[in-house]
Amino acid sequence: MTPVISLTRLTRRYRDVLALDEVTLDIDGPSITGLLGRNGAGKTTLLRIIAAQEFASDGRIAVLGGDPVENEAILPHIAFVREDQAFPKFRVRHALNAASLFYPNWSAELARELAADFELPLNRWVGRLSRGMRSALGAVIGLAARADVTLFDEPYAGLDAVARRMFYDRLLADYAEHPRTVLLSTHLIDEVSGLLERVVMLDRGRIVIDAGADDVRGAFIRVSGAAAAVEEFVAGRAVLERRRIASQETAVVAGGMDDGDRPWAQELHVSLEPLSLQQVLIHTSVQAGRPPKEGTTV
Amino acid sequence: MSSSIKVARYQLIYPGLLVIAPWIVLAGTFVINLLPTVIRGGPNPTKALASIFAFMVFVGMLTIVRSLPFALALGASRRSFYLGTVTLVVALSAVYGLAIAGLQAVERATGGWGVSMSFFQPQYILTGAWYLTWLTSFVCLVLLFVYGTWFGLIQQRWDTFGLLVFVFGQVTVALVIIFIVGGNHDWHRVGHFFTTITAAGLTGLLAAVAAALCAGGFALIRGVTV
Repeated sequence: MTPVISLTRLTRRYRDVLALDEVTLDIDGPSITGLLGRNGAGKTTLLRIIAAQEFASDGRIAVLGGDPVENEAILPHIAFVREDQAFPKFRVRHALNAASLFYPNWSAELARELAADFELPLNRWVGRLSRGMRSALGAVIGLAARADVTLFDEPYAGLDAVARRMFYDRLLADYAEHPRTVLLSTHLIDEVSGLLERVVMLDRGRIVIDAGADDVRGAFIRVSGAAAAVEEFVAGRAVLERRRIASQETAVVAGGMDDGDRPWAQELHVSLEPLSLQQVLIHTSVQAGRPPKEGTTV
Repeated sequence: MSSSIKVARYQLIYPGLLVIAPWIVLAGTFVINLLPTVIRGGPNPTKALASIFAFMVFVGMLTIVRSLPFALALGASRRSFYLGTVTLVVALSAVYGLAIAGLQAVERATGGWGVSMSFFQPQYILTGAWYLTWLTSFVCLVLLFVYGTWFGLIQQRWDTFGLLVFVFGQVTVALVIIFIVGGNHDWHRVGHFFTTITAAGLTGLLAAVAAALCAGGFALIRGVTV
């Protein structure tokens, strides 16, 4: 089956800055994939190239089977919602009308419902919306577009916790009814981790993690207990971090646990706790700046 | 519906910039010129009709800077955005040119709005028959709009530095022409050219420039990123 998004050695250079460094990635649909990474990792550049708003310096890109650049058969099937979206002199209802012109699967009914849920004032000028309201407008457009490829770049940066929860719920509900390929770039990793089927993490323009979300969650374990017991338990494993306070130690090790590990941990009185996605991101980012250790890839 | 037609409809969702603002500018300059003419008495030959033409440069620039990013986010291609926008402006300019020709006819019929004001009859240009007024206005409006889009396109592609190069480049070209013409003592030929060319000939020349700018704009937008 042809991947919905296929990137081969995709590279983007800005003079002496390498924003994307030979990124190779296939995303099948329908799926919800999290695009994670620190600021400047290349997430937005990658999404802009997929949406044909930016050009690759090198490499190949295919979306829905073709090059999206100036491709009018493909572009109406890509919705790109970004935090810093510039709008014309539009009221909210104008922006929704504009979206309805371009997206073939646009749902006016869903747009109305979402606008009401997010309490968007339809007659207010977009330029006078608060940051949260602008985020809500982007979320409404991205969801109601029902585009085959939906790209969200920090779509809810200005939303409060209640509105973010609403966004996640509506995204999941509409995805269940109208499956599509969603690529979600975010910093609120733990908050969205329940939504994600797959995680792609970028660091300095390179992919450092590309795996199922469940695999990533189980890939790093925090081992805590008496220092001697922890050292005995982690011996022979790839240790990413050690912290010792008095006689207590916490170590983060890479690689999953096998059947014998848990009884042994109980015997040594050490506790095992899988790292959350956000903690994995932090550890992987730190590791990415160091030489790779055996067994640290996911 | 073709992508270009969708873009034209997109541009008209809120017609403030392309439809309302140029006429507000023109109405404003008309009133500003009419009031002193009424108070002091005519004749008042004014060139303030240029305001709507000059404003079209601004409209062209804003159309790119403000409308393009959202259109691309909604899945429009650069090509359809440019074709749809320019086609719409060509159609609107045809109507605006007709309105200017009509207002010129009214001005002539009323003796300059009753106060001998020549607002829609500037000297040298737009002095012929109504259809020539329409044609020249139409072509000038399109030309200046497309010229304005160049500012927006260069801003989007090369930021402020690109704009500075663009402006200084034009100034340099103008200075070189002035230097060459002045050095060869050819000003009388330039004057002769502009005083003998017909309105239709001048309009044709401007149309050729507009077409060249249009083709250049089309090439420029292909490389724009947002």
